[in-house]
Amino acid sequence: MNFVTIDVLVFGAAHVCAKSDRVSVRIAQPATAADVLAALAAQHPQLAFTLSAARLAVNQSLAQPRTAVCALDELALISMVGGG
Amino acid sequence: MKALALIVDGALTRQAETAALAPHTESLAALERGGTVGATLRFEGIVRETEADLNNTNAPRALAALHYQTYDPMAQRALQELANSVAQQHALTSLIALHSRGRVEVGQISFVLVAHAAHRAETLAAITQFIDRMKKDLPIWKLPDWKVVG
Repeated sequence: MNFVTIDVLVFGAAHVCAKSDRVSVRIAQPATAADVLAALAAQHPQLAFTLSAARLAVNQSLAQPRTAVCALDELALISMVGGG
Repeated sequence: MKALALIVDGALTRQAETAALAPHTESLAALERGGTVGATLRFEGIVRETEADLNNTNAPRALAALHYQTYDPMAQRALQELANSVAQQHALTSLIALHSRGRVEVGQISFVLVAHAAHRAETLAAITQFIDRMKKDLPIWKLPDWKVVG
């Protein structure tokens, strides 16, 4: 099985918790947005509190769980937003 | 112009708002002269002096400021799409949404929403729906800058 490591941009409380604007996850290819969220939960348990209603943006657009993800994509964790 | 949404660096002071809207002055003036607007509703979001502290069972804690993080350019696009959607759904004459990025101190304005419509009911409904959807969907986060006590 082919594995890749991908950065995921994090914001807000996740940013504070990670002490960085991004975290890395190692996932098997081919992968989906749901796979990335599952990998975040498994490999970064300190972010679990942000993941219950989290979504993934792939290349600046909200992804569906089955959206394919590859190593060249820009990924962002969209969770616990709070504008206003 | 039906809907206009902009992300602005820093607090939404009167000067910042004027500068942000300067390129649209003509269309805004035409709107006011148009005769179709019977209600204008303006909402301002202001940074409160306390915020729930996630590290302390959500207890209120004194703030110095909020720092608004945006995921750009998705945040700008999503804000504009939300403004378009709400303006259309409520048959508004126009909708202007301005949101801060970066540091906004306690008491300063971080969000402005102005709805124009033929009648007040549309503006009231639009403002409420916009804010509800913004807080659920838009990639904008606020990080507390806690007040140093003592």
